[in-house]
Amino acid sequence: MKKNRIASIAVYLGAAAISLVMVFPLLWMISSSLKPTRDIFAETLRLIPRRVTFGAYESLRSLAGLPFMTYMWNSLFIVGLSVAVSVAVTSLGAYAMNRKPRLPGFHLLENMFILSMMYPYILLMTPVYVVIYKLGLLGTRTGIILFLALGPIQYYLFREFFSKVPRAIIESAEIDGARELQIFSSIVAPMAKSVFMTAILLTFILNWDNWFPVLIISTSMKTYTLPVALFNLDSQLEVNFPEIMALSTVVSLPIMLIFILTQKKVIAGFAAGGVKG
Amino acid sequence: MNATFRAIKDNLVLYFFLFPMFLLVLVFGIIPIAGSILMSLTKSSTSLSNSPIFVGLANFKTIFADSYFIDSFRITLEFTAISVPLNLLVALLLALLLGSKLIGRGGVVFKLCIFLPVVVPIMATAVVWKWMYNTNYGAVNAILKLVHLPAFGGLSSTKTVMPALVLVELWKHVGLYTIIFLTNLQLIDKEMYEAAYIDGAGWMARTLRITLPELAPAFSLNAMYALIQFLKTFAVALVTTQGGPNFASNFVSYYAYSKFKLGDYGEAAAMGTVLFVAVIILTLLTRRISRSDDLERGMA
Repeated sequence: MKKNRIASIAVYLGAAAISLVMVFPLLWMISSSLKPTRDIFAETLRLIPRRVTFGAYESLRSLAGLPFMTYMWNSLFIVGLSVAVSVAVTSLGAYAMNRKPRLPGFHLLENMFILSMMYPYILLMTPVYVVIYKLGLLGTRTGIILFLALGPIQYYLFREFFSKVPRAIIESAEIDGARELQIFSSIVAPMAKSVFMTAILLTFILNWDNWFPVLIISTSMKTYTLPVALFNLDSQLEVNFPEIMALSTVVSLPIMLIFILTQKKVIAGFAAGGVKG
Repeated sequence: MNATFRAIKDNLVLYFFLFPMFLLVLVFGIIPIAGSILMSLTKSSTSLSNSPIFVGLANFKTIFADSYFIDSFRITLEFTAISVPLNLLVALLLALLLGSKLIGRGGVVFKLCIFLPVVVPIMATAVVWKWMYNTNYGAVNAILKLVHLPAFGGLSSTKTVMPALVLVELWKHVGLYTIIFLTNLQLIDKEMYEAAYIDGAGWMARTLRITLPELAPAFSLNAMYALIQFLKTFAVALVTTQGGPNFASNFVSYYAYSKFKLGDYGEAAAMGTVLFVAVIILTLLTRRISRSDDLERGMA
């Protein structure tokens, strides 16, 4: 019994040390954003600042000549709409695919989908740029939203869930004369409430982060989201370290809060969907 | 033909359901990939024009004669060859730790901490790590100084930049692989352990004879995800090193991006195609190996 206790304490200490290493950079980011400049050099490692200042956050009010709210609004608008489009498109698609996978063309489409996800998407951006340009969507939020709507993780979450819905339920509804849209909207979708929630959360987290398409499709800073604004601030020659840390905190904090509040769902979703970004 | 037509006609609704997804896959997946491969066959200065000039495999010849590209390919493969096993090993150890009976309810908090870097936006984590390694402001050297260890060159020295990036990427991604191991760990039948325990098998024997073989599918899944992830390494290089110092972290993705920025579209697309082929070959190889593994187990 005593041996077990010592082992338990050792395991706890190990886990606590590892956890500290994992969260340290994030705590350091928050703490650095709150320190006055003179303390940053002198007390690099102090996580709880001796003196707290919000000066760095105040200077974020205007970034590269645009008000902070422009970037914030872009983030919320682009991410919000891309989540809605993405969840609608992938849930309908996964439902149809699951309902009759043998229909002509269905298998081909699924393979096309997998192939697109394997392509290094950084390199896809040149031709995407051309396609978006030809569609007349360059520099528009619509172009960004549509590109962000295609994600593997949402599709696989729905596909996995729908495959577990008993066929008998769907078939009996079919015999009762229900139409496909009715079966989806009044029988299957209500059963899938929890999957919808998970898909919404994951899509929000992933799309909030998805800065590269925004950078490529934008033609001016007017469509930049917060992470792109951070990239922009960090690549400037004149370095303002606390300001960079403050913007990093602003970019991360919403996601950290959402994650801490919904961690069980989010972790399970990532584990089930597997594929990431 | 008639049967096909009939099948489509009878299930028109399902085709409508699938249509938006088809459209997105086509417009943002298949057309750009085809476009990218076609672009790799064109003269850069005409790639984006309405009548591109096709030059056959000239761009591929150019990039394979470019020693910077060969180096960048080698760097990418080396980085992947180190990162995949390292991430899987650390993830496995973390999963065993989190799955341990000894940890009990505290496990929730530890799991949260280990997974947190996976969800925090990559832009923020890359920027923060860039500054963590900074020799003036950074925490890394401050810690080393505190414990009287020699300073770490971090991202500024050609010798240390790769280890530094391997660590950043480990920190960022290991949580995902850990969770996949942990999920599979919790699916293992508890009775197998009890039987082994009664037979007198110790912790080590139980881990080697039950846990690891039972985790084989999780291994191949993780290996595949990690392979795709690390072959495509880009954001961290763009934010922290811009391929430097002296091209030491010039990953294929980053090199192709910098070619794109210079207007060398043909070469950039050729590099993309080469990387795409590498990703497909290595992924298929991983699947083949893991499948034969499963096959052997099934036959035993």
